[in-house]
Order: sequence, then structure tokens, then C-alpha cells
Amino acid sequence: MSAATAVAEPTADAGTRAGAIVALRRAAARVATGIGVMWAAATAAYVVLHTMPGRIEDILVGDQTYPGAQEAVAAEWGLDRPPVVQYLDYLWRLLHGDLGTSYAMRQPVASVVGGQLWPTVQLTLAAAGVAIGLALAVAVGTAGRARPLRALASVAELVATSMPVYWLGILLLMVFSFGLSWFPLTADSGVASLVLPAVTLGLPMAGLLSQVLRESLEATLEQPFITTVRARGVGETLVRLRHALKHALAPVINLGGWMIGSLLGGAVITETVFGRPGLGAVTLTAVTNKDVPVVLAVVLLAAFAYVVISTFVDVVNLLIDPRLRTR
Amino acid sequence: MRDLRPLATVLIAPLLLAGCAPSGAGSRTSASGSSLTWGVTTEPQCFDPHRSTQQNAFIIIRNYVDSLISKKPDGTFAPWLATRWKVSKGGTVYTFRLRDDVTFSDGTRFDAKAAKANFDYVADPANAADAASLLVNYKRSTTPDPRTLRIELKKPDSSLLESFSSVKLGFLSPASLKKGDTLCDASRSLVGTGPFTVDGYTRGQSVRLAKNPRYDWPPGYSGHRGPAYLDTVTYRFLPEYSTRAGALSSGQVDAIEGVQPLDVPLFKGVKGFQYLTGPSRQTSFTLNVNYTRGPGADIRVRRALRDGADLDAVVKAVYRGTVSRAWSNIGPDNSDYDASLKGSWGNEPEKANRLLDEAGWTGRDGDGYRTKHGKRLTLEVGYPQPYVRDNRDVLIEALQAELRQNIGLDLDLKVNTAGEFTDQKAHGNWTIYPNTLNPLDAGMELRQVLGSTEFLYGNVRGYDRKLDAMINRALATTDLDQRRPLLARIQRRAVDRAYIVPLFAPHYQIAATDEVHGLGFETQLDSPANNYAIRVGR
Repeated sequence: MSAATAVAEPTADAGTRAGAIVALRRAAARVATGIGVMWAAATAAYVVLHTMPGRIEDILVGDQTYPGAQEAVAAEWGLDRPPVVQYLDYLWRLLHGDLGTSYAMRQPVASVVGGQLWPTVQLTLAAAGVAIGLALAVAVGTAGRARPLRALASVAELVATSMPVYWLGILLLMVFSFGLSWFPLTADSGVASLVLPAVTLGLPMAGLLSQVLRESLEATLEQPFITTVRARGVGETLVRLRHALKHALAPVINLGGWMIGSLLGGAVITETVFGRPGLGAVTLTAVTNKDVPVVLAVVLLAAFAYVVISTFVDVVNLLIDPRLRTR
Repeated sequence: MRDLRPLATVLIAPLLLAGCAPSGAGSRTSASGSSLTWGVTTEPQCFDPHRSTQQNAFIIIRNYVDSLISKKPDGTFAPWLATRWKVSKGGTVYTFRLRDDVTFSDGTRFDAKAAKANFDYVADPANAADAASLLVNYKRSTTPDPRTLRIELKKPDSSLLESFSSVKLGFLSPASLKKGDTLCDASRSLVGTGPFTVDGYTRGQSVRLAKNPRYDWPPGYSGHRGPAYLDTVTYRFLPEYSTRAGALSSGQVDAIEGVQPLDVPLFKGVKGFQYLTGPSRQTSFTLNVNYTRGPGADIRVRRALRDGADLDAVVKAVYRGTVSRAWSNIGPDNSDYDASLKGSWGNEPEKANRLLDEAGWTGRDGDGYRTKHGKRLTLEVGYPQPYVRDNRDVLIEALQAELRQNIGLDLDLKVNTAGEFTDQKAHGNWTIYPNTLNPLDAGMELRQVLGSTEFLYGNVRGYDRKLDAMINRALATTDLDQRRPLLARIQRRAVDRAYIVPLFAPHYQIAATDEVHGLGFETQLDSPANNYAIRVGR
């Protein structure tokens, strides 16, 4: 990302050119590490899946077996070859953009996972929006304020973070969908059907983000430069939003990776409770069935998301913290 | 997390009841005329009848797939796509006379060749179809004329009529079969002869079916002819109990399958709703005890396990009286169920204690469990996580508590993965396997869990040869009336020697608004029948 901006800038003098080269080199390193991370994740997942007890063909055949059933299934999916050969074959096909076919669903993994991707992305983005928005509002509004207000916010945060996603989802459904009929359960009714799942998934995270952000904000508000700003007669709201928030954000931004993990994990439960399409159910059944191609595709996707988010976090950190830019 | 479900319902139920009177529910249905929306527990992984392994998938598949014959509640068979049939004296040749007015929804004629193509496809090992397990004795089909299908077997097999009535051996159009294993997707290329056709599918959300306007060949037990009443049917996948119940209460769906005991009062006897329970014909939830290994190899220990607890009370407590305890692993509504088992075993803790004393389990450890030579009396129940459902783990835990208190036996529930269990199967070292069986012929069911060649005992040494011989004899007896006493003897032997400890007789539940008429259950599957007989409106 930094490469793109650097290249786009006019390279008038040697200094900028050198800077661009450095930035390019850094970006190339990023991409290489990213690919490395994804390969390592897929390989680790492959090894774990193959060391888990139970042969895949036995699991696929299940309880209703007949003589020759396992052999037929193994031959069908090439499971009768040594694991290393299967692994190399998988990598080879992956290089050609072929994610394989699901053993249990018997459909191309790319279409199964691809089809479920957008609903999950939609849900996690909306939930992240809810989490960040709420956390910002609560933290900025309550940091360093009167005790009762802070106490109230703390209690709310504690309740939000300790509430299981499952339970929260049912509760919201009972009240707002079944009781008040404000939000329908059907997933194809656009934004209205996204509200409750997003709140379900976002609220516990909002609680935690808000705790971290308020603490960091309070620490920042103690800093001498804030006293200076206040001395210039700047209003309290502006002090917080323009001057303190930028400094206070650093620790929160670094939680980005954790957020992704937590959102994806919570999405599985949220999707089940609301009967929403998404990667959750697909992943869960794939893991229990040892549906290797599907699991690997999801692992690759998750690794990709981590790489993108951590790159994004680094870039944002550069933007908000000038000290990191001089290297 | 599981424990929160009932809690959520208890806390919110009043709000639900107050917030939405059932009068609002269902009015949507009558307005749209003839469409129906189901909320169901399970999204099928595969929509192909020949390849699906999930019992709940067949609830949906049955709407677009018909079979050769149909099974009636009394256990006998009625015509369907075959008008009559004959089994040869030796039991190795089945001849079916087919209807001549049946077409697949793509316009292709259903004839003997199409039927043969289906059976050949399923039986071919290269296709690795799950339904092949029903055709192990299939040799070949011949088609003397378009209306006659002649099936030859390698050896007599009394389970075959049941199998021909099963949705798993239902028919897809020959053009569909050519598409091979892509049929798992619920696409329009999945073409059968059923009263509905696949119209649309959103993975993770719903599948939509449309009426087959040409349909006029319902099973023999059907109450009407001609096309189905409904124009469209939508199955909405709502895996959470509370979500399904709430969706029905608030009129977002018209009917649901799978109602947890706690939610039953929301619908049963409530104005505006109806609540139905299905038969328990096929199978009961049963502990299968590996009688060749560890403490379970001692018949006294197994009998103590069987009789050490008050199963009636345990089942009642866990399921709030919505299901009954079982006496055999064959369902109580099955015509092959051995009714003489009822009341013949269970709840004799004193006798169980005596048996354990006799078996030498006389020591006690710090936790109150019996020991022998310093080893605790432990029987592990390995329950694969994907199969854990409707509080069955809770039931085993309740039994565990009672057995510990009554007889000092440690029934150790271990929820494992399907992989771990298949590994134990492969080595024959599983201890106790709790399960219900797929809908099958009763003889086949008994062979599956007790026979020497099947998934449980296939790799176990020292199985009961006498029992195995009885099972094989039953399966070779083509006269179903003649083999019934034999099946009863098999059940009695298995229970008497405590190879099996039946726990409870599960059934399907349907709740719906009172504007849905004609709801019922399919005999062969125990599960909700297809939508052929359903009408909506006041």
C-alpha cells in the first residue's frame, strides 16, 4: 500500500526516488512475507488435519458402510496416495488457482467458499463498524469524566464483554425480531437483516475496545501537551477529538489482528443463531468432517485477512505516529 | 453455552407470548395464496438422494424424488411408481411392473430403462454413492419391456423391499445421472419425478421448491391425486431451536421441524398453532456396549449398567415427558419391534450391585466409585461431536450421575470427533457407542450395530457368533412375516446380554400455525412427509 502512494508521487529529485525504491522494496518484502505466512498456515493446517485421528475415507463413509466403500471413496479423491504426494499435488493445483473439490459437498471449493465469503465479510465489517463506533463514542464521552458516569460505562463494558455472543444474539432476536417485529430474520431483506447480527457480534468487542481506549485516552489527557492545548483555550470536545484521540488510538489499532480473529470466530456463532449464510457453518462442518480442501481454503482466506489487516495497521500507525516514519 | 438456551427461553418467553399474539401469524400465508415456509434444523450438505447421508436432508429431497414402492404405517408396502411386484421363490429375482404415465420434470419418460440406469449408477463402485450400501446384493437389472423391471440378486435379501421404498433409491432423470457427482448442489439439474422441483438455493439460508404441475403419481397411501396444492415451498435453515420457535411465533415462518421440550408449551394446545409428533418407528437412542473389551466384556458389568438406573425417571427429567424411554433399539412403532421386551429390564440397583460384587468390583475409591485391584470401574462413552443433539449428551450425563450414586459405576462421557471414533472403529477398540440408526429395514438395522461385518463389530474380535448367524438367517428370509419372530429373538438376546442398552425413543416434532393443513410424517423415514398433501388457508 505504501508502495502505491510512493510510486504515484512525482519523483523529481534523487531523494524521493531513493525513498520510492525503499518503499518498493519494503512493499515487496511485505508481499513475500504475506505469501510465506499463507503457505505456512496452509501447510500447518494440512499437517494438523492429517495427524488428527481417523481416516478421511472412513469419516466420509460413516456408519452405513459396505464392503469396498472406503476403497471406492479413497480412489475417488486420491486419498490412497501417500500424504506427501497429496500435499504436493494440492500445492501444484493451488499454484494454478485450483482450490479443489469439497469431499462432503462435492462442489468446487472456490464456488462454495467464494459464495459464502461476501455475507461473512459484510457481517464482520458491519460488526467492526458497530464496535469501533460505539467504543469511540463511549470512551471519548466518558474518559476522565465524573465518577458515576465512568462507573456506569465500566459496568456496561463489563457486561458487554462478558456476554456470550450466542446468548446476546438470542436476546436481541427475541426482543427486536420476534417481539417488536422491527428486524426480520430473512437474510435477503438488506440492511434491516444485518442490524441485529452486527450488533450481536460487535457489542462484546465494543466493550473491550472502549475499555482500552478510555484508559489510553485518560493517560493521554494527563500529558503535558494536553495542558498546553487547554491553555490555548481549546474546548474540551476538540481537545479530545483532535488532539488526544490520535495519541490514544495507537494501542487500540494494534488490537486489529485480534479483532479479526475474534470477529471470524464470533461470526460462526452469529450466523448459526440468525440462520445467515456465511463461512461459519461451512467451516464448522468442514472441520468436523475432515473436509481438507474446504478447511485449507478457509485457512488461506483467514491468513490472507491477517496479512492485509496487519499491513493496514502498520500503515495507519505510520500515519498517526510520526516517530515511526523516520527509519 | 448449551445451558443458556433454556434459560434464554424462560426469561424471554413471557415477552414473546405478550409481544406477538398468534393471530398475526400465518395471515401472511393466506395472503400469498399457496406458498409455505418451513424453518428446519438442518441444511443438507448434499441434495442428491443417492449420496446424501443426513437423515434430515431427506425431508427436503422427498419433495422431488419418488420411489418404486411406498411403505405403509403397518409395515407393509404399497404401489408407487411400480403398480405391482413379484419376488421369485428363491428370493433372488424381483420383478416390478411400472406405471406408464410417469415423466421426470425435464420431460423425460420414466420407464424400466430409467429405473435400471439409477440402480446401475448407485451400485457401481466407481460412483462411490452412499446408497450403494442398500444394494450390496444387487447383481443386475434387465428390462424385458419398458414397463417391466427385473432385478437379479447375488443372494436373497429380505431388506430389499424396504430399500426400494427408501428415498435413497429414488429416481433421478438419466440426464441428471450423467452429471454425476455435481448433483449435491441444489440446482435445477437435480431432476426427479416428485411433486415439486428445485427452484432456487441460497447456501446457508434457504432452498425454494416449485410445484410440478404434471404430477399425478403419488404413493399408494396418498389421499389425493394430481399436482400438489402448494405453488411454492421454502425451506429456511434455522439451526437454533430458539430461533426457529421465535420465527414461528412471530409469523416469519409457517411451520418448523424440531421443537425443544422447553418450547413445546408455546405451541401445543395454544390457539393459532398446532403441534405434532411423529412416530418412533425406525430406531431408539441406544448405548451399544462393546462386549469384547475391558470391564464391558463381563456380562455382569453390562447387566449392572443396564439395570443400575431408573431410566424412566432420567428420561422424563431430561425431556420433560415429551418422549418415552426405550426397551429395544428398534423403534416401538416398528412392526418388527419386540413388544415383549417392555417392562422386562431396568431399574434394579440392588441386583446390579450384587452383580458387581460378584464380578469382583468390591473396592471403593475416594470418589465413591467401585474398584478392582486398584482400578476404577469405568466404561467410556465415546460420542462423536457431530452427532450430539437434542440433549442426548445431557441424558447420558444424567444417567452417569445416577449410576455413580446407585452402583458406583463410572459411565465416562467423552465427546470426541468423528475422526477419533472412526479410528476406534478401525481398531475395534471403542467402548460404548451411543447412536440412533438411519431409516432402514429392521433386519439391516440390527445387522448394522450387531453384525460381524458392519461398522461397529467389523474390526472386533470375539463377537457373538450365534447372534451373527441369527441376523444373517433373518436377512436371507424373504418372507417378512416369517422372519419377524427371528428379529424379535435377536432383540431379546441383545438386550438380555446387555450388548445394547436402549435409552429413549426419539421422534420428530412439527409446530405450525393452524392455517397449515395436511401435515404428517413419512413412514419409511419417521420424519415430516413432503409437501404433497399440504394446503394453507383458514
